[in-house]
Amino acid sequence: MIPAELNDAAFIIVQLQPDEHDDIKALRDTLRQFAVFDATASTQVRAHAHQAATVLNLILLGGSADAPALLARAGASIESAMTASEQASRGEPRATKTDLIAIVHEDGDAGALSDAMDTQAAPPARSTGAAASGERSLAPTTVAPSPAVAVAPTVTTPVIVHATAADGGTVPDDADRSLLGDFIAESRESMAGAEAALLELESNPDDIEAINTVFRAFHTVKGTAAFMGLDRLAEFAHHAESLLSRVRDRELPYTQAVANLSLRSNDVLGGFLVAVETSIQSQQPIALPSDYADLMHDLLNVDAVLAGVETRVAVQSATATALPSAATTPPRTDAEPSVDTAARSSAARAGPKTEADQSVRVRTDRLDRLIDMVGELVIAQSMIAADPAVADSGQHELVKKVSHAGKIMRELQDLSMSMRMVPLKSTFQKLTRLVRDVALRAGKVVELVTDGEETELDRNMVDAIADPLVHMVRNAVDHGVEGPADRERAGKPRAGRVTLAAFQQGGSVIVELRDDGRGLNRERILAKAIEKGLVSPHQMLTDSEINGLIFAPGFSTAETVTDISGRGVGMDVVRRNIESIRGRIDIHSVLGQGTTFQIRLPLTLAVTDGMLVRVGDERYIVPLTSISLSFRPEPGMLSTIPPGGEVVMLRAEVLPVVRLHQLFGIPAAVTNPSDGILMIVGDGEHRVALLVDQLLGQQQVVAKALGEGVGEVPGISGGAILSDGRVGLIIDIARITQLARTGDARPIGLSQAA
Amino acid sequence: MASTVDRTTSLGGKYLTFFLAGEEYGVEILRVQEIISMMPVTRVPRTPPYIRGVINLRGKVIPIMDLREKFGMPPATEPEQVMIVVQVDGVQIGVVADKVSEVASIASADIDPTPDFGTDFHTEFLLGLGKSNGRLRLLLDIERVLSTDEVAAVTSIPALAQGT
Repeated sequence: MIPAELNDAAFIIVQLQPDEHDDIKALRDTLRQFAVFDATASTQVRAHAHQAATVLNLILLGGSADAPALLARAGASIESAMTASEQASRGEPRATKTDLIAIVHEDGDAGALSDAMDTQAAPPARSTGAAASGERSLAPTTVAPSPAVAVAPTVTTPVIVHATAADGGTVPDDADRSLLGDFIAESRESMAGAEAALLELESNPDDIEAINTVFRAFHTVKGTAAFMGLDRLAEFAHHAESLLSRVRDRELPYTQAVANLSLRSNDVLGGFLVAVETSIQSQQPIALPSDYADLMHDLLNVDAVLAGVETRVAVQSATATALPSAATTPPRTDAEPSVDTAARSSAARAGPKTEADQSVRVRTDRLDRLIDMVGELVIAQSMIAADPAVADSGQHELVKKVSHAGKIMRELQDLSMSMRMVPLKSTFQKLTRLVRDVALRAGKVVELVTDGEETELDRNMVDAIADPLVHMVRNAVDHGVEGPADRERAGKPRAGRVTLAAFQQGGSVIVELRDDGRGLNRERILAKAIEKGLVSPHQMLTDSEINGLIFAPGFSTAETVTDISGRGVGMDVVRRNIESIRGRIDIHSVLGQGTTFQIRLPLTLAVTDGMLVRVGDERYIVPLTSISLSFRPEPGMLSTIPPGGEVVMLRAEVLPVVRLHQLFGIPAAVTNPSDGILMIVGDGEHRVALLVDQLLGQQQVVAKALGEGVGEVPGISGGAILSDGRVGLIIDIARITQLARTGDARPIGLSQAA
Repeated sequence: MASTVDRTTSLGGKYLTFFLAGEEYGVEILRVQEIISMMPVTRVPRTPPYIRGVINLRGKVIPIMDLREKFGMPPATEPEQVMIVVQVDGVQIGVVADKVSEVASIASADIDPTPDFGTDFHTEFLLGLGKSNGRLRLLLDIERVLSTDEVAAVTSIPALAQGT
């Protein structure tokens, strides 16, 4: 089977114009990604794909008047890759080494040229081509170690051409500095963990968990580096990871040689991180770590190295001339690989200070505990302030001091809350990449505009909306925005536009996703919903109710199920995820003009603005965001619908009445709604009128779990310490409206009521 | 799981003993985190009857369990005085008692295995019967009390619902 990436690439490249640089760039990245990471494809297929990417890069680097010819050449390489993968899937023998050499020969000039252009900073005298051809001219010899030139048979794999380039590329211009800082800090941690695990393996080589730790560390660095556009680093990490994956799969034993290679890999990765940091500051290309060339070579020829064959000499001479940027570090001349790793890694760590050093990483559970404690402090303080011994003491000085302490504590609370706030920037940035990839695959031209990415949100919430946003953005690009041809026909610009905006509004943060695509087709949604039995054909639904149907489980209007989206799972999960963090999602859509999704989120999860209500002897907290209105009903507003349903009529709207005392089995509560208060709660179509005895006032509370001994309680989302020190329960409005809808609002007694 | 014999031989140690419905119970002292005097408990709807509710223990919300309810005893006639906060597998839970008695050292030799009452369901919550100073103490297997009955509670809810 031909991988989807290649199919797509072939489809795209035939439509590409030489001046469509953005699309070429996207295609190049896709191909590179595929070549480096897709372990399911054969080496040969990947070599061709890599070649195609290299040729595309030539076009991007510009200067060449012959862009159309290069485009054709890239196309040919993609075709070769497809042919090769077809052969592979038909079970034909994989390419022999001679074939691979042929691939290099065939495209070798382009490769050399590309590398030369890749590294503009390098002196022109550098001879990558010579190095590459030098390698190629090395004939495979017998395995006997020879002090002169003994070369492993695989030395001419196409990747080696890449490996001998002079520098590690540049930090992409569009890379985010703070993200890079995070990346470096995180990677350092991974590397430290990996090193500890590697040392553990010295004494206990069978520790598969330690192998996994190292593997994961390399894997993480690889993935993030690729995302950051640090291709050379990603590629290296990939090879380091491959070695370990073979150990993990028990293909290779964990011998001293493997240990040495892995430790060196770890050091080189560390070196890379320092080099990236330096490069950010100096604006120079990333210098390759000193051991890089040797180690890359060893990793590529790992079997020979492990068999004890000395393979390094030849390449060393080639890289010595080809590595001017490594001139500051003495070229390695000794053959023993791991003697000076310790010295080098400590040197690597003494690298220049950057943004990453300006922050302290704190475990989130500690931070949560701190915030909890501060919350308690605020409550304790307000209990002191409210105590009659203070409040009614008539001692002004004392009251003044107490209230001063209160002011400081509230400031402390604000500060502690702000520690969890992070900007949405990195979330948005990941989506930029996603839009590009999805658009490419779907054959569309889509431009993503982001706005307000500096808006801050509680860290937990940023994590919680990341997945839903990915899903929604995919949907917007895949289903929302039309293809270029359709758009032109509709009189719109060829390029679709997806806007991602975030802003604060009152006590909420709004994240908005807008597309200028075809909009929701309500007729089709309704037809589909009727077909799936979600609504009955006779039901009269408002526009917003019909829009809301896309959140129903198992619903999808996409005519074709693509591999990107449209499997009918998703929007219901999106909604559930957002509701789980007390958020809300609304849709506005105009047919032919686009769709807007609006996610409304509370500023932070830690503090809830609540309305304290009384029912019988019990007190509950209703989150303020879910209350739209509270009132004492006139008897005339209420009607009973047999068998036992109760509704209230409010400005022509009919809402079901949910008696909280009945739902929770609370004795001695107000039973006549006209003697109590009805609170209109919930959102959109799921509003109900909740009957309580009395409103006690507004209060900020710190939501807490009820403790594992209680488990999940339907209708209760947690507890909070009230100002008198007792626990108040927080009502889960979404659940209550759901209970009301499913008719499960029958009374279940409190423990004592039984 | 260790056999009953194995368990009783290693059961000796210190126990916090307390009164509940006229009987004296014991719980391993290492499980006990603290003893607090009775305070108002916030009832939690839609939970099993033996969950009395939740309290605020220095900023932490912890559940309170009613052993009478759990063991099927009639409600207390005298006011209960204390709650014993125990910790099992990192979970804190308060247990209501009439009053605390003492911390008693009970040697393994003085602990008898629980006699088999056949159908009696509650003996599985006992580690054994401790004898010291001529008194009999029912030594609670608190881990079981807190965990096993959860299952019993969950299975009893549908039955309840059908009854209504």
